[in-house]
Amino acid sequence: MEPEAPIPDPRVASASDRVGATAALIALSGAVFLPMYVLRANRIVPGIDQPLGAGGPAAWLLVLFAAGAFAAALFLRGRSRERAELACAVAMFASLAWALAYAASTLAPEPTSSARVSIGAGAWLAMAGAAALWFAATRTPTGAVERTGAAALAAVSWLAAGVWGGLSRLSVLREYALQANTFWSEVGTHMALVGIALGLAVAIGVPLGILSSRVRWVRTVSLSATGLIQTVPSLALLGLLVLPLAALGLPGIGPLPGIIALTLYALLPIVRNTYLGLTQVESSAIDAGLGMGMTRLQLLLRVEAPLALPLVVEGVRTATVMTIGIAAVVAFIGVGTLGVLIIQGLGYQADDLILLGAVPIVLLALVADAALRAMGRLITSPGIRVEAR
Amino acid sequence: MITLDDVTKRYGDKLAVDGLSLNVDEGEVCVLIGPSGCGKTTTLRMINRLVEATSGRIAVGGRDIRSVPPEELRRGLGYAIQSVGLFPHLTVAQNIATVPRLLGWDRGRIAARIDELLSLVGVDPGAYATKYPRQLSGGEAQRVGVARALAADPPVLLMDEPFGAVDPLTRERLQTEFARIQRELRKTVVFVTHDVDEAIRLADRIALMKDGRLRQYDTPERLLDHPADKFVHDFMGVDRALKRLVRVRVDSVMNAAVPTIDESSSPEVMADRASCAAQRFAYVLDVEGVVQGWFDCRALEGGQQAGAGVTRIDWRESTVRPDASLKEALSRMLELGFRSIAVTDDAGHLLGDVALSGIEGAFSEGDSHIASAGTEEQQP
Repeated sequence: MEPEAPIPDPRVASASDRVGATAALIALSGAVFLPMYVLRANRIVPGIDQPLGAGGPAAWLLVLFAAGAFAAALFLRGRSRERAELACAVAMFASLAWALAYAASTLAPEPTSSARVSIGAGAWLAMAGAAALWFAATRTPTGAVERTGAAALAAVSWLAAGVWGGLSRLSVLREYALQANTFWSEVGTHMALVGIALGLAVAIGVPLGILSSRVRWVRTVSLSATGLIQTVPSLALLGLLVLPLAALGLPGIGPLPGIIALTLYALLPIVRNTYLGLTQVESSAIDAGLGMGMTRLQLLLRVEAPLALPLVVEGVRTATVMTIGIAAVVAFIGVGTLGVLIIQGLGYQADDLILLGAVPIVLLALVADAALRAMGRLITSPGIRVEAR
Repeated sequence: MITLDDVTKRYGDKLAVDGLSLNVDEGEVCVLIGPSGCGKTTTLRMINRLVEATSGRIAVGGRDIRSVPPEELRRGLGYAIQSVGLFPHLTVAQNIATVPRLLGWDRGRIAARIDELLSLVGVDPGAYATKYPRQLSGGEAQRVGVARALAADPPVLLMDEPFGAVDPLTRERLQTEFARIQRELRKTVVFVTHDVDEAIRLADRIALMKDGRLRQYDTPERLLDHPADKFVHDFMGVDRALKRLVRVRVDSVMNAAVPTIDESSSPEVMADRASCAAQRFAYVLDVEGVVQGWFDCRALEGGQQAGAGVTRIDWRESTVRPDASLKEALSRMLELGFRSIAVTDDAGHLLGDVALSGIEGAFSEGDSHIASAGTEEQQP
């Protein structure tokens, strides 16, 4: 085999970036045509839409950056386009934070009043557009430094807007101020539940995956059983667990069934990827290993495991992102995860409470995703890394 | 060194290997050859117990292979395969270190061994030790595969079409180098191939198999000259006389006393020197002794100026090395339309030449049977 030269993506090389342009256009139209901020006299009454200009100079900057991203996506090429799009996406996030902060502190200046400003449809759309633009700019697997730097910049701009710009007056954050204690205990419970379930799923799933690659009937049983579990809706699975647990004299609600359910869901990606990782090891490498006098265990540890590990970590990543989401549902059986806030918010029709539960779940999933991707890259031998030359 | 005694391998109803008895002497290359499905690879894999024989006895170094655990047995038998099977996540150096590490060698000894082996197989240790397998060309990977098989200096090498997956040119180069390494190391080698030329070139003895049975086990010369039956005769091919040339090295028939002239000489000097020679031509060398072409004095009869009558050649293209086979030399001569071809070392320095007449001589002097057989075929 000759070393393969990276094949330039023709879309990136020659044409304009339609994904990026669409993303910029979505953000732009959101900011211009839809209400960016909503003012409410109190938590329950319907809100009054506020125009773009209520966000002050930052709001106009947002429009400017979105337009800039649109132009960059259409007229720039290659690396310079990716850089321009990423810079615009970061700038859009930052200006959006400051526009929201400005609107929150000018429309409802009295900290003690019950009037509050919440994020409008236009701002959500702008955020979604900026995020899509971000992904459009980072499609090619290069520039890890730029990507990390951009993420840090965006995070810092929101934090700064929170500390100095009055973003904390925004309704979600006022809700947070009221709920801070429960919020953090729920974050803790949420993470603990996910952590325990993943630990169990790895402890069961990896050996099961190894066994599946060796024994045909184990493969048939384990892959179809874990696949079947995936098809059961999470709420239904929690319900289905009540009976067998009761038969064992165990409680059908609380952390135990929650952990069992999450573990069951996490099993499929881990078992399947362990199995796939082991079966895609080239048979010639196995033949050579055995032929040179490795025992089955040495072959597993020195050859098969390092070659399968990237896929296993990929499975753990999928399982993690999935369980972080499903852990919210476990709130229904009386476990204090972030789902509690969502359920309460739905009950009170309090959007801010729902957001306070949902946004951290998304952030947790994003952070876990990035962390496990980074870990996957670290443990993958340079010899089998996809992007290496 | 390796003895197979009435060895049989049965898969269900099918006999893959049927009552095979074979003896490979120490330091010999035994090539197992035959049509696909003849059981040659199965035979090889029974020697290191990747396949367990159904019945019969196999001994390596006088010891029954079933008297030691398979892993221990295999660590003493170098193993190289067609698909190479380098571990993609390990560097070239780590790949070669596999068996030494299994045997618990210390780091210093392993590092020294890696350098030694890479140099032996013609791969620059400095540039390649830290590369990963996918950064290697097919030929480089095969070399590293052979180096890995040799790592713990096993007395026996088992090779399953180790040069099968490369282009013909690279394969020939690898064969030449393998022959060189083998002259140096004198390993006992069992080598599976389906390429008759490769077998004739590398084997001390060829075991020709068909349908799990041994049809003939003898030296390449004997298989060519005295085939046991029609199958052997047909398998070895109709160009047996040409194949015989594969066994003779260029330096064994090379004429070392060839006329040469300096490339800066005047046409008169050239004509004078060249006319002294029986062939009426001389090789033109530069000051380093590197072949630049030849001078043909007949071209001078018109009375031309300096440089006339000189045919310039590129020694990389139009000469052969001393360890090349006569078949290669003949093939080059036919291809280039020469009646003789210069022999040079790896830097292009002239060592001598081989003429068509010299190749004809090789037919008659070595084995008169071959020469006469060739004549008979020409006059049916």
